[in-house]
Amino acid sequence: MFIDFDVVEQAVPALLHGLKITAAVSAIGIPLGILVGTITAYMADAQRWPLRAVALGYVELVRNIPFLIVVYLSFFGLPKLGLLASAFSISIGATAFYTGGYFCEILRAAFRSVAKGQVRAALSLGLSDWQVQRHVVVPQIFGFLIPPTVSLAMMMFKDTAVFSVMSLPELTYQSNLMTADTFAYLEVLGTTALIYWGCSVVMEVLGHAMETRVRRWSHQ
Amino acid sequence: MNDWLTAHGALTPFYAGVIQGAGVTVYTSSLAFVIGLALGVGLLVVRATGGGIARAVIAVYVSAMRGTPLLIQLLVAYYVLPSLLGISISPIAAGILALALNTAAYISEILRGALSTIPRGQAAAARALGLQPTQVWRHVLLPQLFHRAVPPLTNEYTVLLKASSLLSIIAVTELATVARNATLQSDLPLQVFTATAVVYFLMLWCASSVSRVIERYFARLLPNVH
Repeated sequence: MFIDFDVVEQAVPALLHGLKITAAVSAIGIPLGILVGTITAYMADAQRWPLRAVALGYVELVRNIPFLIVVYLSFFGLPKLGLLASAFSISIGATAFYTGGYFCEILRAAFRSVAKGQVRAALSLGLSDWQVQRHVVVPQIFGFLIPPTVSLAMMMFKDTAVFSVMSLPELTYQSNLMTADTFAYLEVLGTTALIYWGCSVVMEVLGHAMETRVRRWSHQ
Repeated sequence: MNDWLTAHGALTPFYAGVIQGAGVTVYTSSLAFVIGLALGVGLLVVRATGGGIARAVIAVYVSAMRGTPLLIQLLVAYYVLPSLLGISISPIAAGILALALNTAAYISEILRGALSTIPRGQAAAARALGLQPTQVWRHVLLPQLFHRAVPPLTNEYTVLLKASSLLSIIAVTELATVARNATLQSDLPLQVFTATAVVYFLMLWCASSVSRVIERYFARLLPNVH
């Protein structure tokens, strides 16, 4: 065989170390983005037009600009505005910013799946806004939300590879260091790809499991 | 504020390259989309009609393409493939190849979703009327498939247009590379990347306008489908 397993063995510890940072950025950035997306989704349906304009402008911005440009803007642009932060926190911020725009769209589509009459009926029965969300809207959209949210999370998890360009020592960066050291492109890139692939498959399987559970729960 | 005004002159290196860069971005993503569409249809037909082994191979291929970052796929296409095959490959060719192989997997999934909405009886009825399997695909299934898949397919094209910015990492001189070089020359990252974002925004806005035209065309072509 022409695969050099010694190199693979040598590369794995460094790659797994990089995976920790990839995982940390994803595990903090993506939920943060979901929070941002939730807030902006409610803003997009708000009564006041400035709130709506900000939310919709934000979504259009994220959907129409490549992640790489967002990353460049945050890494090179923020320091110029006097905002100095570590590569790790800027990465988390950029991930959250981008996730938020997409999640806002997902949530808005989910809101539309609940008939407007239900919300009006619940309000006329005397439920507060909060109670309408808690007892009428959210239980119905939960099953609807999971598949697109899982694919969004997978997309952003993979997109964190872009931070290697900014020297965040995550998985792809470690892989680049190893290939520069050993020139064993096949072995190192292959191992890196397998690690990413494995994580994606795990996320997909967990997503499916969650979907079945929620579906069973909402049919009761 | 004064910074922003004087920046106008400093943006010259960006203006000089922006048209060519945007051209390369559109060219690479469009070519990759066309190749990916052809491959995606092929993958779909094999997956729908082929044997167990072919189906399993395609399922693994799709999962691998969707489960790994495009950046890694680009690096593999640029560094690993040439040495494996013993050929030399230009950065732009490697980029287009990786984009096409990546989008083919997503397109085959989009088309598979669309295929599942066509009643199974249609293909059976067409066969019973004496059409050959190729004729069934050509005249019955594929036209309806494309009609249903136009919105997600055009969305996939916009995804590809955005993703093609990663080609800058294997030294293809597309829009993101032009922007990066312009910031190195002018040290005005905010202005240059904001301008870049505007250019991407306009390109994607045009793409989604064209997609609405295509949708209307298909709606006229097949008025009675649904």
